[in-house]
Amino acid sequence: MSDATRPEPLVFAPKPADPPPPSSIGAVGWMRANLFSSVPNALLTFLGAWILYVTVAAVLDWALVKAVWEAENRRQCLDMVGRAGACWPGVAAWIPNLIYGLYPKDQAWRIDLGAVLLVAWALPLWLPRVRSKVAIGLCLVLLFPLLASYLFMGGAKGVVWTAAIALGLAAFLWCWLTALAEMRRGISFGALMARLLGARDDARAARIGQASLLALYLVALALVLPLELVEVPTRLWGGLFLTLVISGIGITFSLPAGVLLALGRRSEMPLIRVFCVTFIELFRSVPLITILFMFNTMLPLFLPAGVEVNRLLRAIVAVCLFASAYMAEIVRGGLQAIPKGQYEAAAAMGLGFWQSTGFIILPQALRIMIPSIVGNFIGLFKDTTLVSIIGLFDLLSMSRAVGEDTRWLGLFIEPFFFITMIYFVFCFLMSQYSINLERRLGAGQRR
Amino acid sequence: MNPAGRSGPAIELVGVSKWYGTFQALKGIDLAVAEGERVVVCGPSGSGKSTMIRCINQLERHQKGDIRIHGQALCGEPKRDAPILRETGMVFQSFNLFPHMTVLENCTFALTWVRQMPQVEAERIAMAHLERVRIPEQAAKYPLQLSGGQQQRVAIARALCMAPRIMLFDEPTSALDPEMIKEVLETMVELASTGMTMVVVTHEMGFARTVADRVVFMDQGEIVEQAAPADFFSAPRYDRTRMFLSQIL
Repeated sequence: MSDATRPEPLVFAPKPADPPPPSSIGAVGWMRANLFSSVPNALLTFLGAWILYVTVAAVLDWALVKAVWEAENRRQCLDMVGRAGACWPGVAAWIPNLIYGLYPKDQAWRIDLGAVLLVAWALPLWLPRVRSKVAIGLCLVLLFPLLASYLFMGGAKGVVWTAAIALGLAAFLWCWLTALAEMRRGISFGALMARLLGARDDARAARIGQASLLALYLVALALVLPLELVEVPTRLWGGLFLTLVISGIGITFSLPAGVLLALGRRSEMPLIRVFCVTFIELFRSVPLITILFMFNTMLPLFLPAGVEVNRLLRAIVAVCLFASAYMAEIVRGGLQAIPKGQYEAAAAMGLGFWQSTGFIILPQALRIMIPSIVGNFIGLFKDTTLVSIIGLFDLLSMSRAVGEDTRWLGLFIEPFFFITMIYFVFCFLMSQYSINLERRLGAGQRR
Repeated sequence: MNPAGRSGPAIELVGVSKWYGTFQALKGIDLAVAEGERVVVCGPSGSGKSTMIRCINQLERHQKGDIRIHGQALCGEPKRDAPILRETGMVFQSFNLFPHMTVLENCTFALTWVRQMPQVEAERIAMAHLERVRIPEQAAKYPLQLSGGQQQRVAIARALCMAPRIMLFDEPTSALDPEMIKEVLETMVELASTGMTMVVVTHEMGFARTVADRVVFMDQGEIVEQAAPADFFSAPRYDRTRMFLSQIL
């Protein structure tokens, strides 16, 4: 065979893809693969289904079918169904206490207003076309507490306090005005004012922007000045409200504090590193109960006589420090998962420490940390029940009080069942939100 | 020995030594790279070639000797070295793109945050460089959606955005499939034709032969020999170089 008669090269034609066999897809395929793949698997499936049926049926029977919905006291409930059905009227009568604690009921609207404000403030973060989300989020975290603490505590307000409350209110107004301006016109509130007032150049527009912020503050001040709320001492705070206050502050504080502690622990400066390691190891190796006791009983001993620190504040500080130490270790784990090449690429492009940490490393680290961070948040939310042992009436202690009420004496299971549902709803929402967040932030990171 | 330019060498290493614990990775390296010169550094793994190139832009600190970039000595103080190191851009073996940013954001990020450039101008520069490496159509994608070769070309564009006068390449094709090595090498050849000062650590001897002005061979933390590619490949002077070439070619 010579070169001249070389045969034509073979043409490679890939085969078309065949559809999968019908028994391996759809509901039937899924059941075959997951529930009935073998005889033991099928038996386990039936066993599981039976256990599920028995428990769910028993709980539903007790909680709904045989339950008593209207009664004057526990005696009536017991006369009607005995212990076979739940006695819900007791829980219903105590719902205000479970939610607000001993907070005066004619003042409870302040807590509702605070909750509405919080939701309204956070709402622009989820609206489309709002660009100042970082500023709005920071305002919310830093300035909402100013407004909320007066709303909840009330009492006489000095000059500084008044100024601070007005700042909180002005920030709230600014957030919404900016959100609206950006949704309608695509520019911030200050820029919108400048345009409406016909600013000719940039310097002028900047001045009008600043002036409109000042005007906003004055309006807020005018609104706040006549505001006079009755003082509600924190020892009356309780129920779900108290649980949310403690865990909310703990959660918002522990994340940034944990990030700083984790960065400090990896720092090359010995003093900072030693401080962070000591803090983290100290607070992580002591149970939360012990820390709460320490802060409650021993802190006053170290403070000079006459300096009184509110009991609620002591509990909040203890929870914050404890949660920060745990968060620091989670963040450190996340930071370690980021390849060294990311730091090197950032350094090679001339980024400084805070730029590369804040924009390159932390966004990636936080994304992979979301499950553990939210897990920690959920744990913190549930751990707040421990404050009941230092005499704060959180949701758990309030629900125990139902059965000590003379009318509903011995009614324990129903209130516990009720608050179990409350805890479940909150924790489940947190966990669902974290999954949702992971999915959204994961965009582009998977092939 | 070096075809040094009028204004002195672009990179100058004098007696540079580096230890990891007690292990000496660099043993008194002397090297001068002239402005516009293209130097290929090769050698077996563990020879110190990556350590050397990483010392040049201070990703690793050397403990002895001097490194000068365009005549300015590095002092080891990050703040003071930063303006000198802006003259250098680096391309890594594993690309090291930022996975949470789009290709365009990868390129504009340092321009807006380090050079304080307005977003619009930064994007214009970034698009110009993405066009230069022939992937402007991928600008809105995320790095992990691209092939390895495309990612490395983005990394080159990202480094070029900072307008460096010196480009350092640390095994830019070692992590790529054979089919993608070619497209990255072509980009580097194109870059070389613009007169950029380049130091390339690579095992691509074809690239060394056609593009390099000088080939530097390292082993055990030392420069064994350096020569123009024609001489280096046809008449290596040391037995160690001959052995290395016989294994790699």
